[in-house]
Amino acid sequence: MADIKLKIKKKLDFPLEADSITPDNFAGKNIADIKKLPLFYATKQVTIGDYFEVSGKSTDVADTVIIIDGDVSNVKRIGENMTGGEIIINSGVGMHVGNHMSGGKITVNGNADDWAGAMLQGGELEINGDAGHYVGSAYRGYRQGMKNGTIKVKGKVGVESMLWAKSSKPSKKWPTLYCGSADAFLGIHNHGGTIVVEGDVDRCVGADQAWGNIVIKGKVSRLLPSYKKVGEVKEVQLPNGEVIKGKFIEYSGDHTIKKETNGRLYIAA
Amino acid sequence: MVEKVRTVKDVSCPFCGTLCDDLEIDVDIKKDIVVEVRNGCQIGTKKYFSSNPSDHRYMKPLIKENGEHKEVSWDEALDKAADILVNAQRPLLYGFSSTECEAQSKGVELAEMLNALLDNTASVCHGPSLLAIQDVGASLATLGEIKNRADTIIFWGSNPVHAHPRHLSRYSDFIRGYFRTDGRNDRNIIVIDPRNTHTAQIADKYIKVNPSEDYELIQAIRAVLRGSELDVKEVSGVSIDDIKELVEVLKSSNFGVVFFGMGFTQSLGKHRNVDTAIRLVAELNDYTKFLLIPMRGHYNVAGANQVFTWNTGYAYSIDFSRGYPRYNPGEFSSVDMLMRDEIDASLIVASDPGSNFPAASVKNLFKHPLISIEPHKTPTSAFADVILPAAIAGIECEGTAYRMDGVPLRLRKVKDPPGETLSDKEILEKLIEKVKEKMGE
Amino acid sequence: MSLNSLILLTGRTISQGVALEGGKVSRENVRAAGICTFDADDFKKLDCLVGTPVKVITDYGEVVVYSTITEEGPHQGIIFIPMGPWANQLVNPSSQGCGTPTYKGMKAKVEVVKNGKVLGALELIGRLKEA
Repeated sequence: MADIKLKIKKKLDFPLEADSITPDNFAGKNIADIKKLPLFYATKQVTIGDYFEVSGKSTDVADTVIIIDGDVSNVKRIGENMTGGEIIINSGVGMHVGNHMSGGKITVNGNADDWAGAMLQGGELEINGDAGHYVGSAYRGYRQGMKNGTIKVKGKVGVESMLWAKSSKPSKKWPTLYCGSADAFLGIHNHGGTIVVEGDVDRCVGADQAWGNIVIKGKVSRLLPSYKKVGEVKEVQLPNGEVIKGKFIEYSGDHTIKKETNGRLYIAA
Repeated sequence: MVEKVRTVKDVSCPFCGTLCDDLEIDVDIKKDIVVEVRNGCQIGTKKYFSSNPSDHRYMKPLIKENGEHKEVSWDEALDKAADILVNAQRPLLYGFSSTECEAQSKGVELAEMLNALLDNTASVCHGPSLLAIQDVGASLATLGEIKNRADTIIFWGSNPVHAHPRHLSRYSDFIRGYFRTDGRNDRNIIVIDPRNTHTAQIADKYIKVNPSEDYELIQAIRAVLRGSELDVKEVSGVSIDDIKELVEVLKSSNFGVVFFGMGFTQSLGKHRNVDTAIRLVAELNDYTKFLLIPMRGHYNVAGANQVFTWNTGYAYSIDFSRGYPRYNPGEFSSVDMLMRDEIDASLIVASDPGSNFPAASVKNLFKHPLISIEPHKTPTSAFADVILPAAIAGIECEGTAYRMDGVPLRLRKVKDPPGETLSDKEILEKLIEKVKEKMGE
Repeated sequence: MSLNSLILLTGRTISQGVALEGGKVSRENVRAAGICTFDADDFKKLDCLVGTPVKVITDYGEVVVYSTITEEGPHQGIIFIPMGPWANQLVNPSSQGCGTPTYKGMKAKVEVVKNGKVLGALELIGRLKEA
């Protein structure tokens, strides 16, 4: 294990785009080279060294741990495209954290802004605060979003989280979101994603779900009329093998998509 | 007989997205002012008359000095404007919906040079419709098709009597069409709205829906259309029986259309309201012909979307900060960026965010230098640091505009630009030259 | 008198459209867009004459406008303010991540302010410009 420590050293009047901060980009580089990696601030290209104090040593991707200190809540795109290693962020973080990542782990010890874990292909994203809108969602114009991996949000996720999520039974890819509570349109256009909510969700959960599993342990502010009650269950078996115990009312939907559907929504009884 | 008045016929009206192309304008030859407008609605007519010189029409460039607007030369005004833009770290170029396509194209050029944010009024209007179309496509039509064929017309979250006054008489309701030879009597007008609007009052059927609950209603309609028996008795204030009746009416139409407006795009759900409406229309095509058309507000916002898309690949909320165009409404949209105070200078062209943006975002807009390319005194231009007086497209200069259904029509010039005004296109061209100079190109 | 638990909608009216083309800084514009339209039964509860200034309050701001009775009702529980500077003191600037603010559907309450002053557009928007 090798740690690289970054500490932000300038006040940000505009967002900083930091897609170069990934274990993949740091692996095998010395500190001087890491400092030269590009960042974008307003319309100017700058370097990591311009905005961060850097220390530590790097190794190969899988063993690289990047620890970021200071307030990076206005720093976007950290962890973009990463395939392994770890990033620990000790504050809130800006938009697009961990987007397109396919392996490794990102931990945010604060709130995350919109688009956290967008287009996730694998790996783990853990947010120990609230997250913004579009958590684990597809980007504009994409018909498939999160395809694998796990996102855990302790607090609330914003609207349209897990938009266009797509699982694959043959490849055993089960994109999964765990969260404390959720805003409107959770799991919209779901194509096989798994969502488990510890608390309450707002309206339109499971909108236009083609198939998938959404488990709500709290309350739903308004259930879509296109969902129909199937029965009651004592536990929910998720496709990733997990079993959630408890009494739930089982609903099928979204019946806007199909008259008979494998889409399921479970709401605590 | 000396001609006192010049009549221009077949004039395209530069107000709303209906882009009526049958106006007749009489211009006093000596004074070069509009003296009569025929065929226009109240709003279009007013626009032509208010192009005449008045105390709220700008004739010369102005720069704010000690809290007052002072008349200056074009050179001085353009120089100051270019200074503001070149020295900004995050400039915004916004508006473009009330001008013609060539000017819009110049806006793209300028934004790219400055690595700026480029946005048009779709951002606060039908942007959600574009987002929905990008996700699920759309089955669209031209207004002529509607006039000639449509027997079932739904206005959802749209009030054309007020917002598109001649829409009903030219295309969607009263007019006789090739297959609708009995005009109004050949059509079934359905209005779905939280209020019993004036459009609802002249419709055949009015369905009252709870505000901000349109999405649930459309989901219910779609599920019933698929053959499902729903568990509930009422959705969004509409009874299940009314929903089933509506589904039968839609299925047995000859040729249906859904016209939709801000009731969808500005209520909670935003683009998802449009998304599900598009899917409903698509699914109705299993039974009959059904299409939808967004009721675009400005006469050339559709043109701005077209021009921006040809040039950058994206229709609005475009960021050039990294040297190439990127698109992400919510991140690069004007109001959101202003709410996060991420803009430090703005060029407002042919639009009035001072009036039309939420107050908190206007506050941040006003904190920084503002350049206004604008014919009239508005709550935006009144607080601008530089005012570049524009000729009005469709009245004082020609150009192309795109109607709500994507049909391009030519705008006419009925009189000369008054005072020292220049067309938006000329102003932007001159600004581009000044910016190039200052950037050392 | 006051009314709580209302929903505020905003949008186009033809008078507001005519007024804005005629001069956004004019008195005509105040009369067209600086108004709040009530359902007839709701208005009775306010116990005042048509035209009396009312203060409309949402989570996002407040503004004083002239009261009128709707021609587009009934719509009990809903108030309507034409789009423009007055409405925009009250609307929700949040776009929920999609770019477009929430101009319709805010929870609102209304108080009669008999001697309230309805500001002109420039004065109202001018307050947003800090000295």
